[in-house]
Amino acid sequence: MQFHPFKFISICSLSFRNLLQHRLRSALSILGIVCGTMSVIAMICIGEGARQKTVAQIEQLGIRNIYIKALPLSETQKQKAGDRLSPGLHTGDAERIEKGCPYVSETACLKEIRASVMGLNADISPPIAAVSSSYLSVLNLSLYQGRFIRDLDIQNKNPVCVLGYRIAEKTGAKVHIGEWLRIENKIFTVVGILRQTAQKREENAAISVRNCNEMIFVPINMPDMEKDLTEIIVQAEHADRVVLSGKMTERIMEVSHHQVDDYQMLVPLELLHQAQKTRRIFTVVLSAIAGISLLVGGIGIMNIMLATVSERTKEIGIRRAVGAAKTDIVFQFLIESVILTSLGGTAGVVVGIGAVRLLAFMAEWDTVINLFSVILPLSMSVLAGVFFGLYPAWQAACMDPVSALRHE
Amino acid sequence: MGNKDVHVLRGIDLLVSKGDFLSIMGPSGSGKSTLLHILGCLDRPAYGEYLLDGRNMFAGSDRELSRFRAEHIGFVFQSFHLLPMLNVFENVALPFQYSGSVSLREQKRRVKEVIRQVGLENRMLHKPAELSGGEMQRTAIARAIVMNPGILLADEPTGNLDSETGEHILEIFKKYNHAGGTVIMITHDREVAAHARSCMYIKDGTIAVPSV
Repeated sequence: MQFHPFKFISICSLSFRNLLQHRLRSALSILGIVCGTMSVIAMICIGEGARQKTVAQIEQLGIRNIYIKALPLSETQKQKAGDRLSPGLHTGDAERIEKGCPYVSETACLKEIRASVMGLNADISPPIAAVSSSYLSVLNLSLYQGRFIRDLDIQNKNPVCVLGYRIAEKTGAKVHIGEWLRIENKIFTVVGILRQTAQKREENAAISVRNCNEMIFVPINMPDMEKDLTEIIVQAEHADRVVLSGKMTERIMEVSHHQVDDYQMLVPLELLHQAQKTRRIFTVVLSAIAGISLLVGGIGIMNIMLATVSERTKEIGIRRAVGAAKTDIVFQFLIESVILTSLGGTAGVVVGIGAVRLLAFMAEWDTVINLFSVILPLSMSVLAGVFFGLYPAWQAACMDPVSALRHE
Repeated sequence: MGNKDVHVLRGIDLLVSKGDFLSIMGPSGSGKSTLLHILGCLDRPAYGEYLLDGRNMFAGSDRELSRFRAEHIGFVFQSFHLLPMLNVFENVALPFQYSGSVSLREQKRRVKEVIRQVGLENRMLHKPAELSGGEMQRTAIARAIVMNPGILLADEPTGNLDSETGEHILEIFKKYNHAGGTVIMITHDREVAAHARSCMYIKDGTIAVPSV
C-alpha cells in the first residue's frame, strides 16, 4: 500500500467516527486495556521507587563496606565467651583484619556511649559515638566546618568532639568551632561540624542507617573504649573485592573470637543483591498480573472487533467494490483496534499515574514516575491493538466481496 | 444449503467494444449479476478467461486487481450501497482512498465536479439517510464516475426508483456514454433496456439472444 499522509489521516478520522458512533460499547471494550496498562504503570512506578530507595539506603551504608556488629549476649553466652577468652569486638579486631586481609583498604571502629551532654537544651540528648579517625572517609561523610577526629587526638587522648549538622543547628549555632561542650563530667572542644547528609528516616529491615546529622563524635581514646565496640566497618579497596574480603574477615573473626558468636556480619552489597532478588520475584508476579489483564483486555478488543466486522460486512463489500484491496481492509480495521487500545492505554496511564500519586501520598510509599513507566504501558497497549485486531481484520479482508455486498 | 457446485454461467462468449452501451436482460437467477461481477473483477470465474484491453484480468494479484477496479471500473447498484456514516461528498470521494496519488486539491475539484454533473451540489454535506432514492442513486453514480473509469457497470440502477427518477438516471448514463465511456447495465425492464445501444438476453447462464 502506498503511504499518503492524508489518506492515513482520513482513515484514522473515519475509524474514530466509527468508534464514536458506539461510544458506550467502545468505552466498555477498552476497560480491560485500561486496567492492564494501569497495573503495568503501577508495577513499574512502585517497583522502581522501592529499588531506588533500597539502593540509596545501601549506598549510604557504603557499597564497599562490611559491617561487623556486636550482638548482645545472654548470660550463658557470656559464660561461654568468658570460657573461650573471647573479648567481644575490640580495636584489635580491626587491626588484625587490616593486616590479615590484603583487599581491605581501611577499617573504622565505633562505640556508642551512653552519656548526657550538659549545657544544651534539655530536650536533646544526642547519641554519642566514639570513633576512629577513618570513620569519616569510610562512611564518605564530609565536613561543613573545621576538621574531623585525627589519629593524634586518639594517641594524645585529646578531649575534642565533632558535631553532626543538626546538633550544631539545634544548639542555636551557639556552639562553634573552639567552643566547649560538657559531656558527663568532661569538657570537650568542638573541632568540627559535619555537612548535612540526606538522611531518610525509614530503617532497612536488616540494618539501620545511623543518622550522622544528630550525633556527636568523640575520639576513641579512653582505655575502656577499645573493647566492647558497637561496630567495626571494614572497607574493601574495590566493590569487586567485597565478597572475598567479607569471607576473609569472617575467617579472621572466627579465629580471634574462638568461634563465639558475639558479633554479626552484614555486607550491604549482599543485601543489595538480596533486595534485587526479591524485587525480581515481585516484578515477575506483577508482570504476570499485568500480562493477564492485558490479555483479558485484548480478548475484549478482539471480541468487539469481530462484532464490528460482522456488523459492517456490507461496508466491506462496498469498499472492495470501489477498489479496496485486502490489505486496505486489514489496515482499516487494524487502525480501529489500535485506536481503541491506544485510547485505553492513555486512559490507563492517566488513571495509573493518579493511583500511584495517591498511593505515594496516602501510604507514603516511594514511587518513581519516569518516561519509561509511561512509554512501556502505552506501547504495550498499541501492540495489544495490533495483536488482537489482526485476526478480525484478516477475517474482514478475506470476505468474498460479492457475498459481502449482498449481506443485509 | 448443500455443497453442490452450481454453475451460474455456462460458456458465455461476449465481446464488448469500447464506448458501447450494453444492457443485459434476463430472469432472476439467470446469472446476470454474476456476469457483471466478473466483468467488474469483483468475482473470479471458475474457468474461462476475461480479457480487458487484451489483458488477462485474473492473472494479477488481489492488489493489482483492486487497484484496477478503483481506477478503471465504476459500479452502480440497485440498492445504492452508500456508506451511511459518510456525507455525499465523502461517499463520492471514497475511491480516491484506494487509488494512486491524486493530490488532495485535485480530488476535491473532481469530486465537486461530478457532484455538479449529477446535480447534487446543494446536497454535498447531507448523509444518505437525508436523501431521496434518486439522490442516493445519483450519489452512487457520482462515486462510480469520479475516477473517470472508462467502464461503468450498473446492476438494475433504476430498480428501486420511480420511472421519472429512473429516466433521469438513464440520462446521466447516456451522457457518460456519449462522452466515450462504456456502460454495461443489467435491467429487468424492457423500456429501460431500450435506452441502450445494444441489448443481450441471458437465460440459465447462457446467452439466449445475442446482442444486436
